[in-house]
Amino acid sequence: MATFIERPRNSCALGGALTTLNALQGVIPIIHASNGCGGNICGTIMAGSGYQGGGYIGALSVPSSNVSEKEILFGGEERLEEQVAATLELVDGQVYVIVTGCMTEIIGDDAKAVARRFQQQGKPVFAAETAGFKGNAYHGYDLLLEALIREGVVGPKGVEKEPHQVNLWGIVPGHDPFWRGDLLEIKRLLGLLGLQVSTFIAPDETADNLRQASKAAGNIIVSQSYGVAAAKVFEEEYGTPFLAVDLPVGPTATADFLRQVGRFLGLETTKVEEVIRREDGQYYWFIERLADFYTDLDMQHYAVVVSNANYSAPIARFLADDLGWLPEVVVVTEPLAEEQKAHIQEALAGLAELKDGQVPKVLFETDPYEIHNAVVAHWPKNNGEKYAHKLSPAFVIGSSFEKDLAAAIGARHLTVSFPILDRVLLDRGYSGYNGALHLVEDLLAVVVGGR
Amino acid sequence: MAFVEYVNEKANPRRDDRLRTCHAYGGTACGLVKDSQGGCLVNKDRSFSQTFGCQMSLSMFMLQTIPDTVSILHGPVGCGGASPGRDYRVREGNRARGLKEQRVIWYNTNLNESDVINGGEDSLEKTILAIEERHHPKAIFIVSTCVPGIIGDDVDALAAQLQERVKAKLIPLHCEGFKTKIVATAYDAVYHGIARHLIDDQEDAPAEAAGAAQGQADGLIPVNVFNFSSMGRIDEVELARLLKGIGLEANFFPNYVHPDAFNHLKKAALNISVCATHDDYFLEYLKEKFGTPYLIGTMPIGSRNTSEWLLAIAGKLGKEEVAQQFITAETKELEAALAPYQERFQGKRVYISGGEIRVPATGMLMQELGFKVIGLRAHHYDEFGDDLYLKVAENDPDMEVNVATTQPFELVNLLNRAKPDLYIGHAGSNVYAAKLGIPGFPLFNTPKSYYGYRGAYEVALQVDRLLRNQAYQRKLKEHTRNPYHESWYQQDPYHYITG
Ligand code: SF4
Repeated sequence: MATFIERPRNSCALGGALTTLNALQGVIPIIHASNGCGGNICGTIMAGSGYQGGGYIGALSVPSSNVSEKEILFGGEERLEEQVAATLELVDGQVYVIVTGCMTEIIGDDAKAVARRFQQQGKPVFAAETAGFKGNAYHGYDLLLEALIREGVVGPKGVEKEPHQVNLWGIVPGHDPFWRGDLLEIKRLLGLLGLQVSTFIAPDETADNLRQASKAAGNIIVSQSYGVAAAKVFEEEYGTPFLAVDLPVGPTATADFLRQVGRFLGLETTKVEEVIRREDGQYYWFIERLADFYTDLDMQHYAVVVSNANYSAPIARFLADDLGWLPEVVVVTEPLAEEQKAHIQEALAGLAELKDGQVPKVLFETDPYEIHNAVVAHWPKNNGEKYAHKLSPAFVIGSSFEKDLAAAIGARHLTVSFPILDRVLLDRGYSGYNGALHLVEDLLAVVVGGR
Repeated sequence: MAFVEYVNEKANPRRDDRLRTCHAYGGTACGLVKDSQGGCLVNKDRSFSQTFGCQMSLSMFMLQTIPDTVSILHGPVGCGGASPGRDYRVREGNRARGLKEQRVIWYNTNLNESDVINGGEDSLEKTILAIEERHHPKAIFIVSTCVPGIIGDDVDALAAQLQERVKAKLIPLHCEGFKTKIVATAYDAVYHGIARHLIDDQEDAPAEAAGAAQGQADGLIPVNVFNFSSMGRIDEVELARLLKGIGLEANFFPNYVHPDAFNHLKKAALNISVCATHDDYFLEYLKEKFGTPYLIGTMPIGSRNTSEWLLAIAGKLGKEEVAQQFITAETKELEAALAPYQERFQGKRVYISGGEIRVPATGMLMQELGFKVIGLRAHHYDEFGDDLYLKVAENDPDMEVNVATTQPFELVNLLNRAKPDLYIGHAGSNVYAAKLGIPGFPLFNTPKSYYGYRGAYEVALQVDRLLRNQAYQRKLKEHTRNPYHESWYQQDPYHYITG
């Protein structure tokens, strides 16, 4: 039996698959489900991810078979076939991917068989089974990618690897609200190393990047949790090695990341170090001019970080190892496997700059109610005593759900994780060097915001 | 079947089984009314369709405004995911009504693969008990979605059984998305739950209530007005002002009404709907059960419809004379205020798309403002549209009408042909017009004003502003595109309508 979730912080497997398809260039999603699923998911992303709309073919323009009682009783494959044929006629794309919802999987529709019938006519139609009950949106991301790899969207078979071509995965579009900014920043950095990078979402890419993805020398996954299962399938199918690392946020982590990539691909060390030196230089060129304000007003804060598996440890690490803050509690908000939890615990235990070995308390918890109570319990209360220990000034860096938590412990609040309702997101991202500059800007904007 | 009998059932009927509903049509206003009356539209559908909403998502818009309640989305983790977006709206609504600001709290039973096989009732039970312990709400709405509907969870039996252990009223609602493409059935589902669980049987004769009110110091007759989420507090204030102008005191239900306060519903002399799409199920029920007369007529949008709405209400309560005077004074004032805008809008062409009733009512408002209405699109159609669609097309019987729940592909084909100066669209559709370079005015945009005489002026003001700079839409058109092959724009817009 599942455990209930108060105010879930992401969507279902279909949701993750759909927002990913919606992000992939040249790829047209076709939902095989009832009329509500796609609309519900577009509302979820709009409401949770800084007001992101549908782009080329998302939101309410996504083709959907809209099965109803008739199909639930008699099967929906015929309806799906009709929908796919019409979609091919009407919608301009390179690759068409059917994603299934709960009801069509429960009744046993075989979407893959339908896709195959179109493939036999030479049509680029594929299918992924992504019923909502299979898991959350992050799981849906992996389910989708696995299907894209196994079903042959990713290809081709039997080609030579290009030593300087890599694929970048691990960020779930829409559910990671900063997916665009983060992927583009990492792509930029890898580009500086002389690599040709496919993110599959960038405006200068097309579905051909997917179709040629097997030429890559390696898959780089900027996550220890998401995209890893798909990378393993990729390795099985194409023998492509992968590197799964934390999303790098800030100069320290990003330098580590670039070195890891260098070793993974056997790049020249001097080249890697040169890139790091230049990027570090630029980062501190900005930070230098902040230092007057930062030090005169003492901007160091205690911090609570509440975010998904991709963001929580990396943000805490940046705060501790670059900005010199004190992460007190780090909450990871999705159910994870033990191995994934261990990664996060290890990353946080290794924060280099914290004196006295004061490792932040790590919590794996989804429920806003439990998170609120745990952090409040951890925070020293001030009952008006004259000399009371306190953790102040403090910052809660989490989702919009943590607004009340921040108020409860007298902390400032910045939204960095789903749902984000108090800001509109475009190219913002917090990873790499430029992302960290944005993070510093956004944190300190909260401090001066009321002026 | 009588409505009281409907309410005795666990689940409300689908609108498809109760009204002559239609969600796919292309033609003219007069053709639509004729075909609908002839019963030829009920089986129409599409061979190509795009996603839209479902009963589950729409029901949440109502439920989450009800103070001191928690909703459970009984289903897989994705259902109900759009709820965060309502939190600030509901708090804004709380503030506007002087209520305590409350966060929207909902739970999801998070049904997984094993629940699909073994049933989700255990998970639901745990959820209900946890909510009771954590939040002590007055009521818990249990919104049953597709998966429990298909696997056959008996939510009502479980709720009845748990009710003994739980103080909160447990209110099961059947909102399976696959059951109907008429998303507005969600309103029936919510009202069904309210009728079954939040209103007791004690009768409270409305005539007496009216009489009692007559004796009140201010002499106002209490009436109920039924609100909805696309209507802001500012619109309620305007409607209350108008009703007060003819001697009535408006009480608003069901949004933002405390679960304990639904019994006050029975005190009204008249139940007044602002939109048939929302209330017919409930108002029929209240009439049968408590004898409260009701009015479901036009929507008080624009000068003419507002006046007709007021007159119809006045007619039911013997207030015609005062209403006529009031209306004359109000419309005179409004006409003078609108004159400069009418001049500027003269001959401009508008296309309108969204809810069945709001669309033609807005069409008539736009005609009053000097626009030519060139096309209407309704999310669905049923008998409640007949009068308004004939009225809006009075002088233009061939006015184009498309019935479609968003279906942006049909929308862009139509707009590309019609090339209107302005598009007025339901949320979720304005972007597609914008990509064609057409400025869009939101069909609703709470907390901005839209209803009554004041609303008419406000709409004129906002539309005037929108038309003054269209760079955003023009540039968007230059740099982006809708995802259809060019050939689609040469094709019949209704090519994919079947049946
Ligand atoms: S159609 Fe069914 S499964 Fe899909 S969002 Fe609506 S209730 Fe949930």
